[in-house]
Amino acid sequence: MTKTPEATNQTADQENSRTPQSSSATGNTASESNPSTGARTLVLLGLNHNTAPVEIRERLSVPAARLADATRSLLHQPGIREGLILSTCNRIEILTTQECLDSLNSQDSQSSPNSEAAPSATAPGLARFLEEYFSIPAATLAPHLYEFRERDAIRHLFRVACSLDSMVVGEPQILGQVKESYSVAREVGAVSTTLEGLLQRAFTVAKRVRSETEIGSASVSIASVAVDLARKIFGSLHGKTVLLVGAGEMSELAARHLIQHGAASLLVTNRTQSRAEKLAAELRGPNRTTAVIPFDDLYAQADRADIVITSTGAPQKIFGRSHGQHLLQRRRNRPMFFIDIAVPRDVDPRMNEVEGCFVYDIDDLQQVAQANQANRSREAAQAEAIVRKEVDKYQQRLSARDSVPAILALQQSAEAIREAELARAAKRLGPLTPAQQAAVEALTRSLTAKLLHPQLVALRRGNSESNPE
Amino acid sequence: MLNAAHHRLPVEKHELQSVFALLLALGFLAVYARFRTVALGIFVLPVAFLLGVLSAFRPGLSLQQSLPLSTGWIFLHVVLIFAAYAALVVSLLASLLYLVQERRLKSKAPSLTWLPPLETADQIALKSLLFGLPCMTGGLFIGSWIAQQTIGARYFLDPKILLAFAMWFAYCLMIFIRRHSGLRGRRAIYLSSFVFLVVLGVWAANQFSAVHRFTTP
Repeated sequence: MTKTPEATNQTADQENSRTPQSSSATGNTASESNPSTGARTLVLLGLNHNTAPVEIRERLSVPAARLADATRSLLHQPGIREGLILSTCNRIEILTTQECLDSLNSQDSQSSPNSEAAPSATAPGLARFLEEYFSIPAATLAPHLYEFRERDAIRHLFRVACSLDSMVVGEPQILGQVKESYSVAREVGAVSTTLEGLLQRAFTVAKRVRSETEIGSASVSIASVAVDLARKIFGSLHGKTVLLVGAGEMSELAARHLIQHGAASLLVTNRTQSRAEKLAAELRGPNRTTAVIPFDDLYAQADRADIVITSTGAPQKIFGRSHGQHLLQRRRNRPMFFIDIAVPRDVDPRMNEVEGCFVYDIDDLQQVAQANQANRSREAAQAEAIVRKEVDKYQQRLSARDSVPAILALQQSAEAIREAELARAAKRLGPLTPAQQAAVEALTRSLTAKLLHPQLVALRRGNSESNPE
Repeated sequence: MLNAAHHRLPVEKHELQSVFALLLALGFLAVYARFRTVALGIFVLPVAFLLGVLSAFRPGLSLQQSLPLSTGWIFLHVVLIFAAYAALVVSLLASLLYLVQERRLKSKAPSLTWLPPLETADQIALKSLLFGLPCMTGGLFIGSWIAQQTIGARYFLDPKILLAFAMWFAYCLMIFIRRHSGLRGRRAIYLSSFVFLVVLGVWAANQFSAVHRFTTP
């Protein structure tokens, strides 16, 4: 599984940020009142960036190469019917369907009459699996764990897949990571009907959230905002040249982002030439060229760059309005994007007035990032509403599926009675014409259907009402 | 529509409107296929729809005079000229989108996701013009040749024809300036708008033309 970080910036979590193990009680209630799962219970146990510090999370990380092995081990735990392990930099979660307490107890009593009853409804103890697999003491792990069951587990899974539970809400990697976990679990045979249906639904919900909201459309970090703006100017960044003036950390990060998105050529200049050479060497790659420009040649060569990132410690402006005019003239009006991360600023803001020059300083970038963050929060509220509706729909579907056997049994019983009564009456009625025969058939069928109707409706309604929110 | 009017050539005003609407829609599809942006469609498709619908409600008129030579050449003349008009409209719209996007980026206003990037808008504007130039040249050449065959040299003094050649000259000048000075943004729009006005003038010149009228008034 790819260990791409879900996100890098901390954000306030959503309405239902959990306290460790807090949802077990509600989960149990849901489980007890929910007959839809029959003899199996859906349980999700895990920890994430909100409940566990990185020191704990890094000890629980499952590398991609070991994920299949870990899933197999999980499947060998007693009572586990299906299982999936989701391991990212920010979370580890185990989603399982398990034998319910009653059925498990009866199995236990048959196999070992002297064995003690399971301590909780999740008899096999997913927490114990984590403790043993990662060799972590229970006392260290327990305070950070959360557990969801049934409806809560479904909701949590949907929220995770939709990136509503991520450190940066709306980041796109998490859905791919869930899909990868699912793929591994399928390969080792750890996913069958229940998890298959649930995970497919989760992917559909995530897709719906992506298409109906703009939760992931806007960047929220300075570097990614810079990339977004560059794309609005140049479209694709492929083949574009980036000039780094000064070699600060932030400018290096922005340059790396631009390179990741296709910038093909990098020019570096710094008052200290050796520092520029070192940075150029660090950023050199197979599909890009890097070169160092002597600082004195900056104005002569700056027009080669489409994007200029400045981060020097110079007390005065390096680029003035007139520089912008000259550069644009030499570029035959091809636009230039100046990202000024320096404080005090390196680029005169009046250069933004030159047609074709776009100047964004650190405050401008931050404002865009903040506006995008606010937009994401608004979109997240909309996404939460979609998730709530989808959880309801999924549960209704499960309920409808579970009421089918009872409805069929009732209909078959009524049909048997109708046929028996019809046969008995036929002896008394004597021979009937085909038309009379058809009329009697229709009459009895109609009566049976009308008598059954309220009961069937009550049965369906009862099932859906037994699964309240 | 052409069948209803009992002729095969789009020469009547409403028929030409339909051809223009069709070419505009095709222009949008071509831009979408090449640049994967739907922004132009927001403006082009409603205009194409309105032009098409309005034309559909007007009856066809009969030809005032029988058309000379092969109708195929005249058809080609009409389509090429209108393709050039459509290219100019697409170019003008792309330049407008460039201006809006540029203003938003300059003012650091929240971005509109449907707007194309500046470079894309500029490329659409330029490529449309480059497509329109051979169309207009070919259309005018065919038209001149037909007129030479049927009317003779006096056709060149007709106001419609004179304006048409002025339009071609302006079109060429616009492309030359854009390509050689890298003209973009506001100035490019002024230039495109000027040529567009010339095109409107050429269109309207039918009213004063003695040699370029084929329908009853």
